[in-house]
Amino acid sequence: MGKRFSARDLLLILFLGAILVSVWLAMVQIDRQWVFIRETQQKLDGQTRDIAEIRRQLRDGVAVAGRSAQDAAATDPGSGFYRAALAEARDDYARGDWLVNAFPSSPQRLTPTISTDTYASRVQEQVLDTLLTRDPESLEWLPLLAASWSVSEDGLSYRFRIRPGARFSDGEPLTAADVAFTYRFIMDERIATPRFRAYYGRIAEVTANGDEVVFRLDEPYYGALEIAGLLPIMAEHFYGRYLQSAEAAEEFNNATGLLFGSGPYKLADPVNWTPGQAVELIRNERYWGRVQPSFDRVIWKIISNDAANLTEFKNGDIDTYNARPLNYRNLLADEALMSRVRHFEYQDARGGYTFIAWNQRRDGKPTWFADRRVREAMTYLTDRQRVVDEVFLGYAETANGPFNPLGPQNNVALATRGYDPDRARALLAEAGFEDRDGDGVIESADGEPFRISLTYPSASDDYKRLVLLLKDLYVTAGVILEPEPTDWPLLLKAIDDKTFDAISLGWSSDFEVDLFQFFHSSQNGPGGDNFVSYDNPELDAVIEAARVQLDENARMALWRSAHEMIWQDQPYTFLLRASRLDFIDARIANVERVRAGLNRPGLWRMPTEWYVPVALQRH
Amino acid sequence: MTEAAGSVADAAEPETFRRQVVRRTWARLGARIGLAWIAVVALCAVFAPFLANSHPLLMERDGVWSSPALSHLGWVDVSLLLAFFALLGAWLLSGRRWVMPLAFTLIGVGTLVSYQIISPPAAVVFEQYRVGLAAGSVETAVFAPVPFSPTDRSRDRPRSLTAPDREHLMGTDEDGADVLSRMIHACRIALGIGLVATGIALVIGIVYGGIMGFFAGWTEILMMRFLEIFESVPQLFLLLMVVAFFGRNIYLMMVVIGLTSWPGYARYLRAEFLKLRKQDFVQAAQACGLPVTSILFRHMLPNGVAPLLVAASFGIAAAILAEAVLSFLGLGVVDEPSWGGMLNQAVGPGGTFAPWLATYPGLAIFLTVFAYNLIGEALRDAIDPHLSRERS
Amino acid sequence: MASYIIRRLLLMLPTLFGISALVFAVMAMAPGGIGANLMSRSGDMRPEERQAMMAYYNERYGLDQPMPVQYLRWLNNISPLGFESLPGGGRGEFGLKVPDLGTSFVKNRPVLDLIGDALPVTLLLNLLTIPLVFAGSIIMGVYTARFRDGAIDVGIGTANLALWSIPAIWMGVLLIGFLASEQYLKWFPTSGLSTLGSGSWTFLPERTADGWRPGYLLDLLWHLVLPVFCLTYSGFAFLTKLTRSSVLENLQADYARTARAKGLSESAVLWQHVFRNSLLPLMTVAATILPGLLIGSVIVESIFSIDGMGRLVVEAVQMRDRETVLSITLITGLLTLASYLVVDICYALADPRVSYD
Repeated sequence: MGKRFSARDLLLILFLGAILVSVWLAMVQIDRQWVFIRETQQKLDGQTRDIAEIRRQLRDGVAVAGRSAQDAAATDPGSGFYRAALAEARDDYARGDWLVNAFPSSPQRLTPTISTDTYASRVQEQVLDTLLTRDPESLEWLPLLAASWSVSEDGLSYRFRIRPGARFSDGEPLTAADVAFTYRFIMDERIATPRFRAYYGRIAEVTANGDEVVFRLDEPYYGALEIAGLLPIMAEHFYGRYLQSAEAAEEFNNATGLLFGSGPYKLADPVNWTPGQAVELIRNERYWGRVQPSFDRVIWKIISNDAANLTEFKNGDIDTYNARPLNYRNLLADEALMSRVRHFEYQDARGGYTFIAWNQRRDGKPTWFADRRVREAMTYLTDRQRVVDEVFLGYAETANGPFNPLGPQNNVALATRGYDPDRARALLAEAGFEDRDGDGVIESADGEPFRISLTYPSASDDYKRLVLLLKDLYVTAGVILEPEPTDWPLLLKAIDDKTFDAISLGWSSDFEVDLFQFFHSSQNGPGGDNFVSYDNPELDAVIEAARVQLDENARMALWRSAHEMIWQDQPYTFLLRASRLDFIDARIANVERVRAGLNRPGLWRMPTEWYVPVALQRH
Repeated sequence: MTEAAGSVADAAEPETFRRQVVRRTWARLGARIGLAWIAVVALCAVFAPFLANSHPLLMERDGVWSSPALSHLGWVDVSLLLAFFALLGAWLLSGRRWVMPLAFTLIGVGTLVSYQIISPPAAVVFEQYRVGLAAGSVETAVFAPVPFSPTDRSRDRPRSLTAPDREHLMGTDEDGADVLSRMIHACRIALGIGLVATGIALVIGIVYGGIMGFFAGWTEILMMRFLEIFESVPQLFLLLMVVAFFGRNIYLMMVVIGLTSWPGYARYLRAEFLKLRKQDFVQAAQACGLPVTSILFRHMLPNGVAPLLVAASFGIAAAILAEAVLSFLGLGVVDEPSWGGMLNQAVGPGGTFAPWLATYPGLAIFLTVFAYNLIGEALRDAIDPHLSRERS
Repeated sequence: MASYIIRRLLLMLPTLFGISALVFAVMAMAPGGIGANLMSRSGDMRPEERQAMMAYYNERYGLDQPMPVQYLRWLNNISPLGFESLPGGGRGEFGLKVPDLGTSFVKNRPVLDLIGDALPVTLLLNLLTIPLVFAGSIIMGVYTARFRDGAIDVGIGTANLALWSIPAIWMGVLLIGFLASEQYLKWFPTSGLSTLGSGSWTFLPERTADGWRPGYLLDLLWHLVLPVFCLTYSGFAFLTKLTRSSVLENLQADYARTARAKGLSESAVLWQHVFRNSLLPLMTVAATILPGLLIGSVIVESIFSIDGMGRLVVEAVQMRDRETVLSITLITGLLTLASYLVVDICYALADPRVSYD
């Protein structure tokens, strides 16, 4: 402390502080520039190598010959590149420009198989290829990395022939051995991917034989083609070293950004991405596919604040914006914005549905909901249309079963029960619930008032509003509903212990839904998803039959009858399927709604159909 | 000062000292404004069912007159009313020795009895009166000044997030409930949390700090370490953890806020006791062979408690803020009106901003916190002008 | 003095144990456990996957062991003296080692990395705020003391009390709503600390082909205005009062009277003699803001979506990220205790009458 500390000294200290902070900030900035320079350098190196490669190929005549062979395959409607080739043939088609998206929170890691969030899988869709893809309109399987495939008579082995000329983004060829390696890698106990192991565990073995790879099963399963066909192929020469020792495997398990593959895009640096950074994919200049990707870059910024996200979109700094209902409605009124963006409301192929599950067994004893009439009454009391209109502002569809209404599993003959409080009251009275003491609440035969708690995930605002609406609706029939917002870990615990009256949740679903895990009576143990203890032997039989039925039509007929049984029994009151509400910058051409939702790049590893005409390119 | 003089002065002092403090506090404009606002909040809390209620105060249906508002009163409403009138009566009759004990017995017994016997109808359909009036099945109805209950989400004609208009003077929230009604009913949580949480903290703090201040040596060192543990974990962390892990419950929140804010009081009282211990009158009491508890609670506590009052006043403000912050972070009680919870809804998805949901609840929190701080400030100056130098 | 400091440092150890034990106990008692959040939060997991994940995490992180064992294990990891842990999960030699704060289960990154990302942001916020608060308070404190009981004194006192009473959550929402929203004035950015992409800008403002660009520094400052304001306004009340009473005391001291007697003007007495002596209590108080540097901005960071320590902690608590919560509470606890010690030492330095035995 100075001897004569005065006001001037104080100012001086403040001034010095300010200078120090500025210097520090400047250094941070200079560091950023160094990073930028390093990245640019890497890109230049890569391009130099590519140019050398192209020169070599031109000299050898490889490029020209390969091209014409692929052309024939692309114009064939049975090719995975069919739709992309159609887009490429359009007059204004052009390559270039960037597609900029945003994630609300950073993926925790991009490393395949050990990543768990959906954001990481959106990135991986562009970097890793699969054997098959699906036509978004017809939903047929189409070959991607596989040139062709066949299924054995007994449904136990699936044989894929790998397309010649397929290669990874460093130019190494992609072979059947890489496919077998991927399976081996996932099944290795040292790799931290129990999730994948549980899923791919249905496959007994994968063997590579020349350009052919065979997936073998122990018992037939209808979904086996999907499991094998959508396996993201990892490169043995890149990931192989992580299987060499326990330490190497541990290094893989802790890696945040080890992402490398054969897809249309790649990370400039396939090793060092860390969470929090924006994800920037650059064009894979060595992409093996017939149709080269249209965008030069695909970028995901990390914008955790919804307001900031919208601002960025309004400024044109990001190209897509996923809105919540209220926001969507407000934005539609914004004419300036609407003149330069397009909007889409659609049901996502993997959107899933929201439901209320009525617990039929608690503490080993049947609950009131074990009575089918009570469950049906609750469904009649649930005004689904009103939920859709008031909570989701109309941007949702009511649901009456577990199947995607766009798919062939759905039984369209079944009508959704409307709101009918009188019917509900009659059913409840039939089941023995009446208002015996005139207090407005119905009671069971032994005088217990009909009071139930509804557990729901506390993180979601939509659930809160939905449950409050139901509370106000149920009370008119004398049913008291107590909302019980619950943290996710507690919710899982309640499900495992079956300590709840009713629970409201959403299942996300694939296009074809296997009911086994949700409704088969064998799945009501701990860890199973039949947590309402629903038991219908007839339904069990139908589900079992459907799972081993490989014939598509016969299987769909079985699923439809399963749908009807569930519709009769109402183990759940199915609520709705929320629509996805997307705004997309209008300069991006060929964005269209398809049966599977939107033809966005990456859905089932679909080759990119979107592009930006030359005149509109921005970046 | 001789020992005798000290204790004589002390025996005569408390009554006049207390009166002096009250007079000096009252002399400050700030304190008067603060008290006035808290009185308004308290009146709102007590009379909430008569200020904002969907049930009519009086209603004629099929020629029969009834008062749905009265028949829907719950045990909390009744005991609050009882407490209010008991305290009012006690104040009017003040001066007699038996008045305060009687009033508190009345409140205690009344609360227990009403908790046991009062059971308002569980099935509440708020819109039935409005629908009935429109359809003609209800002939006349006299409503409260704000004809909406805090959880009445107007299901007969849903209007969520509407700006203030003639029907909803402060607009509606995202569920369609009337903001003014929720504001009025939220006074209960605000007042309750402040008083109960600070009460718990005071009791723990006084006992703990008293023991620490009276016994020196190892006891004190050990107790000090324990106190430091609680001081060093930020209160907000503990609150967040407990509420996130053990569920959202208003009573749990009160207890936890109380359990995490006592170290300040304990430290305060300890310092005060250390000072007092050296003073003549305590040493005199010790010399006379009085039992420890008697010295602690009859002689030392009344003298050490004054600065605690100041701290408690600021503590109430802090407790109200803590609840508001928790509700704001989305950890509040569902369906229970709370100022912080309403503030949380002001900025919606995509940055849509509802100014009425930001302004009114925020203003209410601010005014209440400010009122308690003003009172605390005035009390501090009244008790001891020198205190204002120390940490609050 | 030295022995006093050593004794105080030793006394900090049991308190630190206590802090970690308290936080660990709260997390251990949490119903539902801390493992469940490691799994997908969307509910789209197949049952066999859920079982497999749970078993895997239990084995990998030892979550199925009794709580005391887990606690001792954690203590061993963070202490500089203990058993070396081997990559295979075994136990190595006993001895000195590098303390390890562990790895966040939820984010699967070392806690130290997470703190390393978040800390500079929070430090920047607070290091800007604290000088502002001190400068403002000192100026106001001196003036309120000079014009004691005048309109300025009462006015500033009441205004500061009012500012102190404004909840940050309200101020933040109002600022965002009115000064940073489309509906009203769009003067400031709503969130974050920099415009996306500003990393590739020049440091100082520059003119580019499509107009004027603010540059990295201005952009950052622009983002800092609202959060720093939110952190600043409530801090004045306490420090102003402290300065005021300290200046008042010094104005009545003998040396001030002597200076006046020498014929110095009142303002000369104030600024040349009293001012520097009055700052001593402020210096000692400065130490107590140490822990605040780390977690003082929890609320403001949440409101303005700034990825600092505050957000890290709130997220970690919600996700039940045990290692992160424990590490941060331990560090703040350490800082709090250290600040107490520093305060006491400052008192001793400033006031030779205080003795330590």
